[in-house]
Amino acid sequence: MMQMAQETRNGWRIVSVTGRADAESAHDLEAALLAAVNEHPAVALNCVGMSYISSAGLRAILQAARAAQTKGAEFAVCAPTPSVKKVFDMSGLHHVVNIQEGLSC
Amino acid sequence: MLTMLEEVVLLTVDERTGHLRSTREFGTAYALVGALFFDLALAGKIDTDTETIHILDRSPSGNAAADRVLAQIGRRSDLKTVRDWIEEIFLQRADLEGEALGSLIARGVLRHEKSKLLWVIDVERFPLVDNQPQQHVKLRLAHAILSGQIPPTRDIMLVSVAEACGLLGFVLSDSELENRKQRIQVLCGLETISRKVREAILGLDRSVRTAMTRVV
Repeated sequence: MMQMAQETRNGWRIVSVTGRADAESAHDLEAALLAAVNEHPAVALNCVGMSYISSAGLRAILQAARAAQTKGAEFAVCAPTPSVKKVFDMSGLHHVVNIQEGLSC
Repeated sequence: MLTMLEEVVLLTVDERTGHLRSTREFGTAYALVGALFFDLALAGKIDTDTETIHILDRSPSGNAAADRVLAQIGRRSDLKTVRDWIEEIFLQRADLEGEALGSLIARGVLRHEKSKLLWVIDVERFPLVDNQPQQHVKLRLAHAILSGQIPPTRDIMLVSVAEACGLLGFVLSDSELENRKQRIQVLCGLETISRKVREAILGLDRSVRTAMTRVV
């Protein structure tokens, strides 16, 4: 189960996720991120409440980052929990996506 | 649209002669199993985390090879990890390459020719009937590797399977591959299935080296 909330702060559209980013929720996550990228020049995915991420969830983030790259928008993934950060580290996501330890945006 | 397995097997066909090119026999066998799991993931049948495979939907996808594996995963509760399943399907020695070739012939992409070498040895060739699908696969691979853009999900998967099969040398020059080595490694690391295929290949390499050391 995943819940999302959105707000705009300091010019960044922040998409905050709570719960699991897995196959069940990946489509909704990707759709929300793509819509945010489409409408805002800077988008951050706040992972502070994300408890789990699967391969499907990672693909959703990657495709949002791809859309931002194509559009020339800024995209960052912020404040991953230790378990989510472990998945990011194993996949080497930081090589292709801007990952911030805190919610600096 | 071709399946991931079909796209990779299509890449092994020499466009000039129709012969199949394979540079890493066991590596290719493992990588084709990986392609099958990617087909299941793309069809929304499975998901993975860093170790475990999860079934999302047991209904058939219409891809015979993938559905056979999906049914097996559903029946076996003792195997849970991606690596377990890659090894299990690898050990079954299913002719995934043959199935994909048959499917490509049925789709009108290839044709099958048999001949004799020195009147004794059977020689099989699979000349391209339509070269567009293979060109499309090569273009996507080249763009995924040479550009600085994040590739589409499907192309990230394709790069990792083609790399494990040793097929990238048929798409890009040696210097291009050398220059983009780091990029290829990054793309190959993004997916759990790719990482586990690589671990399986390295594990087999280690076993072979150990066995050879004992013999010598």
